Amino acid sequence: MSLKESSEAIFSESPGKIALRSLRKDKRARISLAILGVIVFLSLTAPLYSHFIAHTDPFESTLDATIMVNGITTPVLEASTTGLGLGITPIGPTWNLSHYFIGADSQGRDVLARLFYGGRSTLFIGVSSGLLCLLLSLLIGIISGYYRGWVDAIFSRVLDIIWAFPVYLLAISLSVVLLTSGLSLGFIHLGPGSFALPIFIIGVVYVPYIARPIRAQVLALRENDFVRAAVGSGAKNSTIIFREILPNIIPSLMVFIPIIVALSMLTESALSFLSIGVQPPAASWGTIINDGLGLLYTRPMVGIAPGILIAFTAASLNLYGDAVRDALDPKSRARGD
Amino acid sequence: MLAFVTRRISAMIFVLVSISILVFLIFFATPGVDPAARIAGRNADQETLAQVRHSFELDKPLPIRYLSMMRHLFVSQDLTSYVNRGAKVIPQLTQAIPATLSLVIGAAIIWLGLGIFFGIKAASSRRKWIDPTIGFLGIIGISLPVYWLGEVVNLFTQAKLHNSVFRWVPQLGYVGITDNPFQWFLHLLFPWLTLAVLYAGIYVRVLRNEIRMVMSEDYIKTERAKGASETRILYKHATRMSLITLVSLFGLDFGSLVGGYALLTEVVFGIQGVGRLTYQSLQNFDLPVIMATVMYASFFVVFMNALVDVLYAVLDPRVRRV
Amino acid sequence: MHRRPLIIKAVLATTALLVSAIVGTNASLAADSAPLAPYDAKKAGGTVTLVAQAAAGTLDPKVNYTAQFWQLYQASYDGLLTFSYGTGATTFNVVPDLAEALPAVSNGGKTFTFKLRKGIKFSDGKPVTVADVKASFERIFKVSSPTAGSFYNGIVGADVCLKTPATCKLDKGVVVDAATNTVVINIIAPDDAILSKLAVPHAVINPASAPSKDAGTTIIPTTGAYMYKSYDPNKSLVMVRNPYFKEWNHNAQPQGYPDQIIFKFGITPTAQVTAVENNQANWAFDPIPADRLNEIGTKYASQVHINPLTAMWYLPMNVNLAPFNNVKARQAVNYAIDRANMVKIFGGTQLAAPVCSFLPPNFPGHVDYCGYTKGATPAKPAKAWAGPDLELAKKLVKESGTAGQAVGIVVSDDDVNKQMGVYLQSVLNSIGYKATVKPISGNIQFTYIQNTKNKVQISVTQWYQDYPAASDFLDVLLGCASFTPKSDSSINMAGYCNKALDVKMAKAKALGATDPVAANKMWGEIDQEVMADAPVAVAFTPKQLDFISSGTKNYLFSLQYKMFVSQLIVK
Repeated sequence: MSLKESSEAIFSESPGKIALRSLRKDKRARISLAILGVIVFLSLTAPLYSHFIAHTDPFESTLDATIMVNGITTPVLEASTTGLGLGITPIGPTWNLSHYFIGADSQGRDVLARLFYGGRSTLFIGVSSGLLCLLLSLLIGIISGYYRGWVDAIFSRVLDIIWAFPVYLLAISLSVVLLTSGLSLGFIHLGPGSFALPIFIIGVVYVPYIARPIRAQVLALRENDFVRAAVGSGAKNSTIIFREILPNIIPSLMVFIPIIVALSMLTESALSFLSIGVQPPAASWGTIINDGLGLLYTRPMVGIAPGILIAFTAASLNLYGDAVRDALDPKSRARGD
Repeated sequence: MLAFVTRRISAMIFVLVSISILVFLIFFATPGVDPAARIAGRNADQETLAQVRHSFELDKPLPIRYLSMMRHLFVSQDLTSYVNRGAKVIPQLTQAIPATLSLVIGAAIIWLGLGIFFGIKAASSRRKWIDPTIGFLGIIGISLPVYWLGEVVNLFTQAKLHNSVFRWVPQLGYVGITDNPFQWFLHLLFPWLTLAVLYAGIYVRVLRNEIRMVMSEDYIKTERAKGASETRILYKHATRMSLITLVSLFGLDFGSLVGGYALLTEVVFGIQGVGRLTYQSLQNFDLPVIMATVMYASFFVVFMNALVDVLYAVLDPRVRRV
Repeated sequence: MHRRPLIIKAVLATTALLVSAIVGTNASLAADSAPLAPYDAKKAGGTVTLVAQAAAGTLDPKVNYTAQFWQLYQASYDGLLTFSYGTGATTFNVVPDLAEALPAVSNGGKTFTFKLRKGIKFSDGKPVTVADVKASFERIFKVSSPTAGSFYNGIVGADVCLKTPATCKLDKGVVVDAATNTVVINIIAPDDAILSKLAVPHAVINPASAPSKDAGTTIIPTTGAYMYKSYDPNKSLVMVRNPYFKEWNHNAQPQGYPDQIIFKFGITPTAQVTAVENNQANWAFDPIPADRLNEIGTKYASQVHINPLTAMWYLPMNVNLAPFNNVKARQAVNYAIDRANMVKIFGGTQLAAPVCSFLPPNFPGHVDYCGYTKGATPAKPAKAWAGPDLELAKKLVKESGTAGQAVGIVVSDDDVNKQMGVYLQSVLNSIGYKATVKPISGNIQFTYIQNTKNKVQISVTQWYQDYPAASDFLDVLLGCASFTPKSDSSINMAGYCNKALDVKMAKAKALGATDPVAANKMWGEIDQEVMADAPVAVAFTPKQLDFISSGTKNYLFSLQYKMFVSQLIVK
């Protein structure tokens, strides 16, 4: 949703070098990049953590494991012994990095290790679908804006359809197809648990949000004197697009990148929350939230921790997006703040 | 102008028809969704299964099934569910609308209030810390996953602190405003706040940037040079100009939320609105209900979209050519 | 909301139907069995509120096939016969309801003569006549009742009705005489389960004017203590006292205590628990979420009722698809699964017990044995399951030559089932397969795993007894007749068809009509023979947990329909 606002900033053109310089100086940019750096680092080194520090396989159910806590052998999943003896509760946070730092889930798996692994899925899906979305939007935006006429009319209707189409239906149906029989598109075969599906769905869903402002920008550029001159001199369309149009759109794309990645991440977690994103036993922050909801009353940390990570990451990306926008938008500097 | 409006309406119908066909095709392309066996009941005889399939016209070719479904939905308006046999779909939808409207209108009041107040504050305050602080809160608002926030709110209001601070919070669900206005308010308070957090974040940011942008325009500088007071400039010019953007943004958001995009909030708080109905029908693979809710939602989205386009066309004649 | 509408209810919830000939289930049940206490009018009044995640679909008693609504039908609709009120094994007894007495049997067990009670009225004030009885039986076919082809196909003329339901006439199958008020039911061959089949809701008596198609959400007048006032599947079902009801058989249709029963829908399982704790509802329908179990077991222990169920959670393995077309692969799964762990996922030892025989404990024909536990073989079984044997499982996989093959586990996507799937994946990987979990919506999983077109290799599902007869487990779930390739209705999910065993099962069924004890012994042998072939792996037998509010009294449990709603006292 935050895309709508940044579409405002897009119409301004801006010289890149000044922008980069001011971005480097921007405190927001530095802080957000630092946070993102830590999160990416922890995600990338997830196998190291689970292998060398926690000594656990976060994808294997260990329902009857035991650990030593303060010299006492404690089962990871403990059956209730009070009252009627109903229910099994996973071990809570031990605050000890070598095992179950923030506790176990109902399969007896180390939640912290799963969070680091989950970061990989979430970030990977977020970044890939964000880039896919930008690519598609760029293509559609430039083609409709440049060629106009019936090409534009067709693309506009397609965007209208995507805009109003129920994402969840698409996601649920496709995930049933994918889970049960796999999906074969020509020579590409997607097996169950493939990340391609969430990436594709999220990538497509937000195309209208970005393609429309890009199209509007291209339409405006098309009327510019330098483009008219190029068309008049008989230059090839592709040359004009690559030489004159594209360079003028790149800055706006730069503004979109962090925001669309943040949005894709949030969407990924929402899809996983509805059990239609990443499939078990793989983890993403959304699936861990989903797992945690079944433990909300006994072990709330399992559901709360991944939400905090999502919020942190998304906030850093949005903060960085703001910094980029201000750096690229000369008017915001002119505002004198 | 008339030609433009006609074109916009026909485009709207085209989009709605396309969506309905897509939904229909996607549904029947999904493996295992054939409702016949689920309707017929466990271990039903093959003959019974065939009869059920026949009575739901599931043995007819797809195009005929599609047309028949559209006729029942729009012409005779007696489309019935695949799951709750005999339950008419349209009343289910109309009954869900008040809950969604209550949720969305209440949340909208909160987010518009917060958005406008803090947006103006952030853009105008002379104190140095205010703008970044509001900006930071805005970022937090747009970065929290709404379903997660809802569950955490539930954790505290329904469980952890339910016996102390939040004793007054009723159980999850929805009570009609005509049944009991006070309970209606209590049931919706936390859903409103949760839904409003995201949008308040967006609106604060948009408004703040818009006002700053207008304030740097040349005519404002002229006004300032003429000696107009800052307050006058802020409210008479900057805020008024910026609100136009906000209104069009609001149109789109409101349209999609009334159409059921508050699905996650409704699901988390157990509000029996359009979003939850959509969610349930998706869970049940109940095509008639899916179709009705999807048509309803897309209508709102497409309609608000068109409305905003037309408004822009009124303001800016150049758009009409496009 | 974190739990999807659990529509395993179609499975989970289905009901029990008793073969009256074989009532003597077990000693512990018989010990506490008692008839219903006399009605105490002083305790009548008030409203009972029940809460559930979702409604159970159509309200039509001839079509609905879920425990959720069958539980209510007992207090509202009546057949010629019904299952008795009371406690313990009594609740499995078939007693006369709208009929004056149990039928007179003649013609070698093929003719049943009933006398309809006089003076009973429907809730719309019209009297119940023999014409209504005949129309009700024809209506089973007209509305395509799910059991039309399995329970009532033996009635004379049913074959034609099944083919052309719209014009169904049972002139020879259900012969009525208005002058003497008699109803004669003729069946084509003796059927030892016929009385039970006549006692379930699909055989209740509706007015002859009831619609000849599934009534859906429209209300059909009742004969029992309660009638339906309104039904909105997204909101609530409201039952009020039937003004024309007068008690005629205390054990068949007793007067109820509450003035009103409201079943509210759309409430998540966890909100249901909270509502019951706070006295905002009297009873929660859905299974208690795992993270609330400890809380209700300690703080609210006196409000919890746990009762045995004759049911099982099991894993059908497709015997026609690799790798489970190899018996060693199937046996390996049986050895490998740690049933104690699956019990843990289900909620602990109080709520389930590991088993590996096909017939559940306390069930006719059940023998305490386990061929797949450490140190045992199908030929030399142990007394009970003690622990998994991973080494043997790995060895069997190796011997079968299926090691390294891909296996998809199709589970329903609610919390517990999904966890079972994830656990199984871990197990299958550890014995040498490449397993993936495929959680799909609980609403389609049950039919999905039945269809051979979907090529399901292994899945997790449940079976709750229809009636306490071994045939309902063994014959229904593993008989050749229950396997229909390419159909969504093919309850034999393993696709197991063993001709020799089929013959033996037919013999056991025939024997059951004359010598139940010998028949049950035979079923016990069949159980062991089937499990040696291992078309399924049985995991555990679950128990029913009911959580009621502190103000709710007189909780009585029926083995047939679970809690008696109309007997709850809230005043």
